[in-house]
Amino acid sequence: MIALIPTDHFVIMTLYALLVSAFFSLLWRQDRRERWKLFATLVASLVLGGLAVAWLMYPFPR
Amino acid sequence: MSEKNQSVALPDRSPVLAMALAWAVPGLGHFYLGRRRTAAAFLVIVTATFLIGLSFQGRLYSIEREQPLTILATFAVYGAGLWNVAARAFSENPVGMILAPTYEYGCAFLLTAGLMNLLLILDAHDIARGRKP
Repeated sequence: MIALIPTDHFVIMTLYALLVSAFFSLLWRQDRRERWKLFATLVASLVLGGLAVAWLMYPFPR
Repeated sequence: MSEKNQSVALPDRSPVLAMALAWAVPGLGHFYLGRRRTAAAFLVIVTATFLIGLSFQGRLYSIEREQPLTILATFAVYGAGLWNVAARAFSENPVGMILAPTYEYGCAFLLTAGLMNLLLILDAHDIARGRKP
């Protein structure tokens, strides 16, 4: 069980982005097509935004 | 099963009961309001988020006088309803394991699960009142 728990930052961030995006796309949209569109937008925003912030923080490790 | 899309109040459904059910089990308020597929999806998403938080050794916050922000965190975690109550009752270590590499992630997942369910409570209220299609 312990071995199944991911410790990779990117994997955990992506998992979090998927869950949050699925939740808000179901909460905020009624139409199936609109839901998929919002889901894709949110996942891309969260993952790419996280990578962008990580890149900006790279020169400042502490 | 068709979802209800009309923006009218549901006279045979109590908003208070919908909110109480939504707090107790994620998605149950929506199930009560006839939105069964959405309810099932919310149940899976919020429960998965909560269980991942537990498996990451996150903390089920309790209020500490020295740290006022724990009031907000406790409110958020208690939003997860009976999942939070059960986890506190049956978990070996409800305060989490601060030395675990996934501790901070676990806290984030647990807080998020509670906040998601708080939004579901408000959503169930709006649907029952006819404020949301």
